[in-house]
Amino acid sequence: MAKPKTDPESLLPLTPAVFHVLLALAGGERHGYAIMQEVANHTDGQIKMGPGTLYGTVKRLLEAQLIEESDERPDPHLDDERRRYYRLSGVGEQVVRAEAQRYAQIVELARGKKLIRKPA
Amino acid sequence: MATNFNNRALAVSQKVYGWLLRAYPPAHREEYGPAMAQLFRDQCRDAWNEAQGWGLFKLWLRVLPDLVSTSIRERLDALNERKSMNEKIASLSHDRTTPTAIFIRVFIAVFLITVIAATLITFILPESYASTARIKLESDAPPVAGQPSYDPYFIQTEFEIIQSQLVLNPVIDKLKLNVDWGKKYFAGQTLTASQTLEILKQRLQLAPVKNTKLIAITVYSDDRQEAAQIANAIAEAYRDYRVNSHAELKAKGIVVLQQQYKIQEEQIHTAQSDVESLRQQLKSAGDVAASQSPQEQPYWDKKRDLSQLLDLHKSLFSKIEAEQLDAQMPQTALVQIIDQAELGRAPVRPNKTLNIVIGAVAGGFLGLMAGAASALVSFKFGNRARKNAAAT
Repeated sequence: MAKPKTDPESLLPLTPAVFHVLLALAGGERHGYAIMQEVANHTDGQIKMGPGTLYGTVKRLLEAQLIEESDERPDPHLDDERRRYYRLSGVGEQVVRAEAQRYAQIVELARGKKLIRKPA
Repeated sequence: MATNFNNRALAVSQKVYGWLLRAYPPAHREEYGPAMAQLFRDQCRDAWNEAQGWGLFKLWLRVLPDLVSTSIRERLDALNERKSMNEKIASLSHDRTTPTAIFIRVFIAVFLITVIAATLITFILPESYASTARIKLESDAPPVAGQPSYDPYFIQTEFEIIQSQLVLNPVIDKLKLNVDWGKKYFAGQTLTASQTLEILKQRLQLAPVKNTKLIAITVYSDDRQEAAQIANAIAEAYRDYRVNSHAELKAKGIVVLQQQYKIQEEQIHTAQSDVESLRQQLKSAGDVAASQSPQEQPYWDKKRDLSQLLDLHKSLFSKIEAEQLDAQMPQTALVQIIDQAELGRAPVRPNKTLNIVIGAVAGGFLGLMAGAASALVSFKFGNRARKNAAAT
């Protein structure tokens, strides 16, 4: 099997679904439902990921080694043991940082052209 | 009731989604199927808490296109096993929005939405059983010489009689349908005769059996036993009505004949007195019947009239005898119950196969229309975007 690229820049730009999943996992390890809720909260409910999109993305991120499955449970007494938790890998963290940086540069560019203003 | 529906709607949704997961390749399904089903279950619960049935409907509108597009993608990936890891990684940043892809996604989404909606509605609709009793009819009108015995209005007339209060009210009373249906559908409130009759008519279907004198009486009900009981009760009530009507008609006819018989008796008595009086007059004048002189003519005329009256009287007596005998005979030939209604083995309504096939045909048509429209819009916007990009 060919070794995946580890250069974060080579993976950019990410699709919105991938970026949102990575962003959600940037806050700590989460299971699928929590990722979906976090994405919906971040986007004011504009993006509600379906099970197919979410687990298709998770599958590709696992294959690309940007995320990894976690065996630990935050609190086994409060959660369903059948849920699968995911967390960012080292590479995944680099990639999401790089993508966020890319977005930040775009935002700066837009501000320079007075398309958007700095938040009050 | 609301909780039952809640549970049923959620259970049906989850069951359907579990079945739809077959659209994914086996390996993907094995790895992520349970997690996807669990996520869908969580989403169902949230959707129901948010807006109940409408929330669930909106969730399906979101989930189906997602399921269609991602299952196609997973299938394509599964077919292309030789794809390198780099290509797989590259797919994380690949945008698939060509008009053809949009057409396929929209077509499959609309198709599946329509089929799923038709399936859900079909499975949520209450089931109904049918039971059929078959009866053989004979007309009780006497054959008229020189006229064909076929009455084109006979069957239609009898259909209307079977659906009339004359036949159905005894059925309602016998089976206490106004009480039972009141308990079942109107919170225990006893129904009026007209309300019960209306419901009964809606559940009743009559059809002639082609090229025979048979009629099929079919009754639909959510209770298979009730359907059979009502169908049999209608057949029996109609037979009783016909037999009683026939007997009543015969009895009235006999009364009229007997009255006529009495009138004739009086006429005979008068005629006999007249003949005897004339005979006495002729006897005093000479020998009667030695020769028919003009003076004897009234006597002979009266005697002939009396003879005719006696003949008529005799035939009327025979007719009354025959009618009385006929009235005493059981009139089972008027209506014969050929087949008693049996318990339905399986529900006949809704016709699940037909509904789903109709859903599939409608879904295919709507999918083509929606897919073509979406692809056209995508194509036009794509062209405009490319022109704008070229201009800048």
